[in-house]
Order: sequence, then C-alpha cells, then structure tokens
Amino acid sequence: MKRYECLEAMLPFVAEDDLVVTNLGRVRDEWHAVRPSEGNYNVFVLGLCSSVGLGLALALPHRRVIVLDSDGSLLINLPTLTTIADQNPANLVHIVFDNQAYESAGGGRTHTAGRADLAMIARGAGFENAFAAESLEDFRATAQRALEGTGLFFVAARVEIGSAPVPSNPYDAMETTYRFMRHLEQLEGTSLLSLAPPAYALPAHLGWGRH
Amino acid sequence: MNDTATETIKDALVEVGVDLVATLPEGNFQPLIEKIEAEPTITWVPLAREEEGVGICAGAYMGGMKPALLIMNSGFLDSTNALTTLNLLAGIPVLLLIGYSGGVSEFLWMHSQVGAATEPVLRALGLVYERAEKLSEVAAQVRDCQALATITKRPVALLLNKECLR
Repeated sequence: MKRYECLEAMLPFVAEDDLVVTNLGRVRDEWHAVRPSEGNYNVFVLGLCSSVGLGLALALPHRRVIVLDSDGSLLINLPTLTTIADQNPANLVHIVFDNQAYESAGGGRTHTAGRADLAMIARGAGFENAFAAESLEDFRATAQRALEGTGLFFVAARVEIGSAPVPSNPYDAMETTYRFMRHLEQLEGTSLLSLAPPAYALPAHLGWGRH
Repeated sequence: MNDTATETIKDALVEVGVDLVATLPEGNFQPLIEKIEAEPTITWVPLAREEEGVGICAGAYMGGMKPALLIMNSGFLDSTNALTTLNLLAGIPVLLLIGYSGGVSEFLWMHSQVGAATEPVLRALGLVYERAEKLSEVAAQVRDCQALATITKRPVALLLNKECLR
C-alpha cells in the first residue's frame, strides 16, 4: 500500500474544518496535493508533529486535529505517546505512515523494519483505540472509524517506501505558521496575531492602556 | 520551595494569562507543580520528556492559548533543536521557566557542567533571558518575559535559581 493511496482513502472522512498537522518529509507535499487547505500545518522538526497536534487539540477541544506522522518521527519522540494518552483528548487522531525507513535521509531502516510494533507500543502507552492497518481496505475502514467517531485514536499504516510525484509545498515554516493562524482566526472568530502589546506590559506613564 | 515562592510564581503566571503549563519535575519545582495542577485556570500537561513540551506549547499557542514550559536546565539543553527548528524557524513564542541547576546556590556537584553550559547555550541560540535571583523580583520578571515572548514571537527564558525558589 502506498501512503498517497491512504491519504486519498481517508479524505472523504476529513471535514473541511479539521486541522491537519504533518511531519516533515514528503507526506506534507502529498497531503497538500490531496487536501490543499490553510488548515494544514507543517512541522519541520522530526518527531514533534504529534506533540504540536496534542497542544492544538488541548487548545481547541471543539476541533478535530489529525496528525500525519511517520515511523522515524514517532520513534524519536516515543515518550509523547504516553503524554498524549495521559491527556486523552477526544479530538485527536494520530496516524503514522510506517515505511520502515528513514526515507528522506537516504532510506536506512528504522526499528519497525525489525521487531518494533507501533500499534502495540501505542496500546502500551495508554491508547484505548490503537490499530495497525496492513492493507488499503483495512486502512480505509480504520480511518473511517477513527474520523467518524469520537475519542483518541492511533492508526499505524504499513506503507511502501516512495512518494507520489506531487509538487513541493511552497510554504516555509514562518509562512505556514502565519497562514495557519490566520485561518484559525477566521475559523474561531478570534484574534491570534495581534501586534498590540499586552496591557500589563504598557508603561503607565504613556497612558496607552486608556484607549 | 516554600509556599510564598510557589504562590508568587503561580500567581504571576495567572496574572499574565498563562493558561497551559507543561512541566517535568525538578526537585525544587514539585511544590510549584502541585500548585499549577490545582489552579483551575491552567491546563496542566505533565511531560515525559522536555522536548515534547516545546511542541505541545507551540500547538497550544497557535490554538490561542498562552503556554509556559517549566523544566530544568538539563531539559532545556535537550530541547535546543525543538526551540530552533520549531519556535525560531516558525515564529512561535514560549515562556521558558528554567530551573538553574548548577547555578548560584547549587549544592550538588553533578549539576556543575549543565549549570555552566546553560547561559552560553541560551546566548548561542540568540534567546533573551533573565536570571531570577530574588523572590521579590520574580513576578515582574515573569511579566516582562511573557510580554517579550508575545511581542517578539520568540522563546524567552527566566532562569530560576535555587536561592530564588527557597
């Protein structure tokens, strides 16, 4: 099964307002091709997309947050599985595309090519809903269950090495942050990127606080 | 850490609107962590490793919260890649409250090297930081650091030494 096929298979179950946090690597380009949206956020440090997803899920409990992670990324930040399970946010779906390799870094094997089992690790970390998907039909059914249900879900999808010939996502980290936060401002009807200094930081003699 | 110190710092966090605190225990911090856990306006996220806390705070910030990360300086050193490649690369602020092991008033020899490395590494990352040495000044320093983090969209650190926490 190919990762791109999985992304296409899960798309019908992703709502327009769902927030999607991607790992670095080609998954961000593939997801951007499948669902171009300002509600996609790309993390550029290996391992932390799941933690960023948890922070978002805690801040916006009424929004669905979907994390598109990888085996190498999850393995470098394994402790966060216990933290996510400890918080147990009902609006977080953590999907890991496991190609058993550090593909972007030359293709060397990860430990899932050997004896490590990510779904079992997630279960051990405290995820009540943790599943492994070996086939596309399997993945589609599991993604549907996770994305149409409520509760914290973990899905590890065994995929081939390789990526679809899609264009590169054109946004750097700074731009993806601004676009994503402007999108959230619209979605939530709130101001997140105000340039106004906090009232408590204003020197009293300037009198700015009175305006 | 006595009740006055924990109340002062917790109240300062609440006053500047901090509403999510991710923590990893340090001997001196435990009473403060308990205060944070009990504070109804703060979402408490106990961590398994400090670096994940950088990511959690980043997500919480983008979602509209005002997060802080309460960790020991060893955990700060562990978090430097996250602070550079997440916060600094993407323009994401965070208030770092860092226990200054190996700093002034340290009493354990094994913290000497992590203490010596802390400020040089903060400077190497280009992070603005303050040293909290007196409890009477901590509330204002929390306010100043949080304000600077907010307006610069960068991490700002407050180093809490053991004397200050007594």
